[in-house]
Amino acid sequence: MLDVGPLSGRPGIRASGEINVSTRLSWEKALTELSRQHTDVSYVELSGVRFVDVAGVAALAVTAMHLPVGRVVVERPPPQLPRVLDLFWPSLHRIEVAPR
Amino acid sequence: MSTPTTEETFTHPALFYRSEAEYTDRTVAFVREGLAAGEPVAVAVPGPNLELVREGLGADGRDVTFLDMTEAGRNPGRIIPGVLRAFADAHPRVRARIVGEPIWAGRSAAEYPACAQHEALINAAFAGRPATILCPYDETRLAANVLADALATHPTVIAGGSARASEAYDWRAVVARYNEPLACPPDAGVLAFGAGELPEARRFAVDRAASLGLAGRRLQDAELAVAELTTNSVIHGGGGGTLAVWAEAGQVVCEVRDGGRLTDPLAGRRPPEPGQIGGRGLLLVHYVADLVRVHTTDGGTAVRFCLGL
Repeated sequence: MLDVGPLSGRPGIRASGEINVSTRLSWEKALTELSRQHTDVSYVELSGVRFVDVAGVAALAVTAMHLPVGRVVVERPPPQLPRVLDLFWPSLHRIEVAPR
Repeated sequence: MSTPTTEETFTHPALFYRSEAEYTDRTVAFVREGLAAGEPVAVAVPGPNLELVREGLGADGRDVTFLDMTEAGRNPGRIIPGVLRAFADAHPRVRARIVGEPIWAGRSAAEYPACAQHEALINAAFAGRPATILCPYDETRLAANVLADALATHPTVIAGGSARASEAYDWRAVVARYNEPLACPPDAGVLAFGAGELPEARRFAVDRAASLGLAGRRLQDAELAVAELTTNSVIHGGGGGTLAVWAEAGQVVCEVRDGGRLTDPLAGRRPPEPGQIGGRGLLLVHYVADLVRVHTTDGGTAVRFCLGL
């Protein structure tokens, strides 16, 4: 299960639950909405996410890559997220990770 | 049979050597030839041999990329994407020149089939690309079947100082020969999973792997790799499968079986496009594991990976 929606008071989204093949559509939909609203800095608050798989991190990385300006700050992600970013997108400056 | 057009663009000789001096002479000459032609050169060989090449090159080694193959290529399945293609792709539009030694005398019986398949698949991965990959084989310490396989995985062989076409060249036969059934020990913990049980499968693997002694980042890698394999079973392998976890020879082994068949021999060995979302699962497994073995037939597929304790 994945519960995902807009952050209150600042641009971006928050999610809780699992980002995997069963919840991919709602995760990707939320990311599309994030990039539509994006101006300078968007936040992705993931403290309630227990697990994200490789395609889930890929969707976030590709979203960030396609932003025309600014960056995405990923807050308190599960450990898979920095690991997968490091393996496949080691120099993606549009994503900043604020650890748990 | 080798095709001349492919050989003109991609060259993949095996170098059979019998002494340190011969090793050094031939690899250093190979590297210098590339440097003289302005080619980017990488040397990915086991540590002690790396030192021989480094010393032999002296100051000329400053523009050469050196990698210890026992680390970069610990898992033979990640050498194509993580070492060979990574280096060649970083130098587009020019011929890349690489010394790659994936098989050394200390490789285990469990590793060797993956090594032989890797050598075979280099031919598919680089077909039509401008690259030269020289693979040294220690004739004095490697088994006769290993040297025989090298004749099948390389269109050209250099032995005793002279190069000849290998009449035994047939890389597809080697991929097929080492597509061996994988036996699972009777005491392995086994769990059946379907599309709705991916989190349970992951937890099962983490609990078992932790109780067998895996910890820290390696345990996290096991969780991630199991998630990717079980997801592949749900998407490509008939909607589910079975997961088994056990310890063997100082490693934790996780294995996923399902009813699908892997038809693409290079699955998990192609570097992804940066903007591609799917298709990284098996590659991730290759990157984090110490060894990956696959057995695939019309009856189903087993993929296992090992992480050292």
